[in-house]
Parts: sequence; structure tokens; C-alpha cells
Amino acid sequence: MNSDYLLLTIFLAIAIVFPLIPLAMAWAWARLFSPAKPGKDKQSSYECGIESTGPAHVQFQSHYYLYALIFLVFDVETVFLMPFAAAFLKLPVSAFLALMVFLLLLVEGLVWAWAKGILAWK
Amino acid sequence: MLIALLPETILVAAALVVLGLGVSVPKSRALITAATLLGGFAAAAAIFLLPSDGNFLHGMVVLEPLARMFKLVILGLGLTAVVFASDSFPETHFAESLALVLFSTVGMMLLAGTEDLLMIFIALELTSIPLYILAAFDKQSRSSAEAGLKYFLIGSVSAAFLLYGLSLIYGVTGSTNLQAIARFSGAPDPLLIAGIVLTLAGFAFKVAAVPFQLWAPDVYEGAPTAAAALIASGSKVAGIFILARILTAGLGSWAGSAGWGQFLPGWAPVLALMAAASVVLGNIAALVQSNVKRLLAYSAIAHGGYLLIGLSSASRGSLTAVLFYVVIYALTTAGAFGAVAIVEKQRGGSRLDDFDGLAKSSPVLALCLLVFFISLAGIPPLAGFFGKFYLFTAALGNPSLLWLVILAVAMNAVSLYYYLIVLKHAFVFPAPEGIRPANAPASGFLVAALALAVLALGLAPDILLTPLANTIASPARPGATASTGVPPVSGARHFLCGRQPPNGRDARSPLAAPRHPNDFDAFACRKPAAETP
Repeated sequence: MNSDYLLLTIFLAIAIVFPLIPLAMAWAWARLFSPAKPGKDKQSSYECGIESTGPAHVQFQSHYYLYALIFLVFDVETVFLMPFAAAFLKLPVSAFLALMVFLLLLVEGLVWAWAKGILAWK
Repeated sequence: MLIALLPETILVAAALVVLGLGVSVPKSRALITAATLLGGFAAAAAIFLLPSDGNFLHGMVVLEPLARMFKLVILGLGLTAVVFASDSFPETHFAESLALVLFSTVGMMLLAGTEDLLMIFIALELTSIPLYILAAFDKQSRSSAEAGLKYFLIGSVSAAFLLYGLSLIYGVTGSTNLQAIARFSGAPDPLLIAGIVLTLAGFAFKVAAVPFQLWAPDVYEGAPTAAAALIASGSKVAGIFILARILTAGLGSWAGSAGWGQFLPGWAPVLALMAAASVVLGNIAALVQSNVKRLLAYSAIAHGGYLLIGLSSASRGSLTAVLFYVVIYALTTAGAFGAVAIVEKQRGGSRLDDFDGLAKSSPVLALCLLVFFISLAGIPPLAGFFGKFYLFTAALGNPSLLWLVILAVAMNAVSLYYYLIVLKHAFVFPAPEGIRPANAPASGFLVAALALAVLALGLAPDILLTPLANTIASPARPGATASTGVPPVSGARHFLCGRQPPNGRDARSPLAAPRHPNDFDAFACRKPAAETP
């Protein structure tokens, strides 16, 4: 019992020291050897990718969320459709009907949203 | 098998049709309302005509006389909310509001007909989510948005409590079926106690019992009045019904006792403490309200307390009384909210001042208001009196609960004051100039009908009490075996009289205590129901 915990403690110590060594080496290298040459690219938050423009705290249109909600419904629908499709030939007619009812409910939701003008980006 | 869900299926189909009407003919309110009501009546007919009682999908769906009765009551309350909404809801998204009322009603009806923890949770969410939306439905009003947000946040946190509690109960007893949970006879487990307490906390949010009542005043005040009527009536009936079913059918052997000097740990003392706090806080806080909807909210908290007193006495007679009283309370409060909705339409607000001189400007409405508020206060010829009388006598079937009943009766006397304040504004104060009667014929008729019902149930409580007692006392029809091969559940007998606790604890349990020799004995079971193997 005690030796188990001893082993764990040793592991913990190694786990703390192990990442600290390269970090300390990198820090020491930067302090002692590397020349300081700050530049626009080096100072940017992300060195790769597209440069960010404007403040990040902007308001999204609420339409965005409605789109996301509707997308999510049909995204999750595929999770149900995939196993249904894979086992299609072995399923009874009632399972087919049940899934069609399920799809009908989702489609009615989409039609309703469309008719309400939610899909038009204003 | 799925035929047992026919009423709910009809309602969902009706809601989908209404949604379709909302996008094809959004202007014709009458057509949309008619379609909604038609769906409701078809569902009611289906409840009557459904052939067999039974237990389907291992107790997920249970159809027995008591469930049918409460499904009808809930459906009636849902349609009442539809009528109120048809007179007061705004033009935009009108059909959607009615469809949401139907969806919520479906949830409540499912709640009345199940004995499985999973189904209970799903039905509870199906009830609540449309109600959150309905509470926030008045987009022009800040207080409606506040009501919706508060109701949603507190409701979803309480749902988390409830789910955690139910999961602990499942974890200890190994089943989500209430009958199976009742058969569990292990030692009292701390985990199970935690589960019961969390479950009670979740339901206390739903029925707005202290200390989980904070949402109620803001929601009742801010939500559109038709939505508040549904929250106060239908959702209360469904919540109390399913709480009673969980406690008696599932957790009956862990009741404990809240009696004075006979304290035994269990759910009964927890309920008794919440009941005492609700009765005191609800009635005293209502004294200083200046908005009638807010006043009704505190009155609802107090009435939740009265109902919990009945439940905490944990005797069979008191359960009949609780179910009887919750129906009466729901009818009365739905009517009161309907009257408030009409006044709001006339005068643009629901403050006490807005009721000034109502007896002059619209005498019939004022008379209805009188009936509802006097009934809520519990004055004799009206239904509220008999409901409270039965409730308190039945609670005294456990005589050591006298302290709680005395507290409730004393606080009920306090409540008379604030109900009479409203009536004073309506009957004594002069009416302001230039009040025109509101054009809300359907709501007006319905409010009058509800007032007549409250009066009739007060003069002849047997109309409701006898069928209720008969359904509770009668076993299910023979041969109602479900197609799944599950043994038949003996209907309402199981609900109330399911089983005596298997261990020695029943000797101390109030379930075994001698009942008060009143007429409630007639409703109690004469012999224990057959065990389901």
C-alpha cells in the first residue's frame, strides 16, 4: 500500500520536473545567446494564419443562432439516420414508418422556419 | 400498444396543424383557435373512448381510471389557457403560442399517465420548456422577458436537481419503475436519502414551495396572463399529481413521520417543514402586494403549502383530499387569472388600482372575481372551503400532525385579509372615468363558467369527490394485460394502496396508523392490492 503511494509520488515529482527542464533550457538560451530582434510578425499574437482585423467583441446577428439551431437539428438527425440506413434491409415496416414520422416532424419544423422567413438573411 | 398514447398523439398532430395554419393563414385568429380547440376536444374524446386500461412499455405509459381523470382535468385547463390566450395574445406568432400551450399540455398529460422515472423527467421537461417560452412571449414587455429568463434559469437548475435525485434513486434501487422501487427492501441508504431530498427539491421548484419559491412572483407577474394561468393551474395539477404518485407508489416505505413528538426521518418531515414555511411566507408576503397577479403568486405559494400538508400526512385519505383540492384550486386560480386578463384588457394593468369600481363597470366579472377570491380564501358555500376542510380533516388522520394544521388554519385566516383587499377595490372604490368593457366574449363566458363550476363544486362536492373516490378505490378492469406481457397493474389501487412496507418499519409508519374515522375511510383500500410478481 505504502509503496504504491511512494511510486505515485516519484511519478508526480518526475512529471513536474520533466517539462520544466526544456522550458528552463529555452529560457536560459533566450536570455544568454539569442539576439533581440522584435518585428511585426514576431510580436503578433499568432505567427501563422490570417491576421486578425478589428475587435473580437462584436455582436453576431441573432439570425446566426437561428441558422445554427436549425443546422444542429439536421446534423443530429444524420446520427439517427446512419444506423437506420446501415440496418435498413433487416428492419420491419414499422421502423421505417417510425423514422418517416420522425423525419416528417423535422421537415415540418424546417418548412415552418422557412415560411416564417427565418432563412432569409436580413 | 401505442394506442394508449392516442390522446397525446392527437394533441401533437393538432399542434402541428396549428403551426401550419400559423404560416399559411396567420391573420385568421378564429380559425387557428377553432383548430386548437377541435384538437383538444378530439383528444378528450380519445381519453373517453380508449378501450383498455393497462401498463405499457414496462410502466412508461400507464392507463388507469385515475390517470384518465387527471388527463381530462389537465386537458380542460390547457384548453382554458387556449381560450384566454385567444383573447389576449398579440397578433404576431399567435398560432405558435397556441401550439406551445398544446405541447405543454401534452407533457402534463404524459406526466399524469406514467410510473417510470425516465418518462416522468422527459414529460416534465416537455411541460416546462413550452412554458418557459410562453412566459417570455410578450416581446414588447421587459417584465415578460425577465419572467421567461428567471423561469428558464431556475427551472433548468431545478431540473438538474431532480435528475440527479432520480439518478441516485435509480442507482440505489436498481430500477426506474416506481413499482419496482417500492419493492426494494434494502437498508436505508444515505445515498437514497440524498436522492429523495434532491427529488423533493426539484419538485418543490415546480410547485413553488418555500425555500424554492423565488421565481413564482416574478413569473406570475411578468408572464402574459394566459401563460400565467397555465403555469398556475395545469402545471400545478400535474406537478402535485406526479409528486404524490412518486411518494406513495414508489417511496411509500420511506415516509417517516412529521408528527409532533413522533419525528421519524423520511420525506414526510421534509415536506412538512416546506409546507409550514410556504404557508407562513406565502400568506404574509401576499399582504403587502399591490399587483393582483403577484398577490396570486404568493397565494399560490401558500396553497402549495396546504397541498404539501396533505401529502406529508402520508395517509391514503389525505391523498384523495390532496387530489380533490388541487383540482379545485386549479379551477379557481385559472378563473381568477382569466378575470385578471379581462381586467388587464380593459384597463391596461393588473395593479390593485386597476380593479377600482369593477362592480360598476362590469358587474358580472366582479361577481366572478368575488366567487374565485372567496373560494381561495375558503369561505363556506364555495368549493375552496370544502377542499380545505377535507384536506385538513384528512391530514388529521395522522393526529400528531395537529401542529401543522393549526398553523395552516391560522395562516388561512390571514389570507382572508388580502383577498378581501382586492374585493374592496372592486366593490367599494369608485370606478375611474371612461372605462369601456373589454371585447373578450370567449374569456368572459369561460370565466363565468368556471365561477359556476366553483360554486357548484362547493354546493355539491360529490360531483367530483365521488368519481375521484371511486376511481381511487376501484381496481383496474380484469384482463387489462398489456401486449408487452407485463403483468397488469391494478390501476389506482397500486397508486394509493400498492403495498405495505415489507420490513418492520410499517408499524411505526403513518401509513399503518389508524385513520381518522371520517368518511374518507370509504375511499381507503379495504385490503392490500395483489402484489405484482
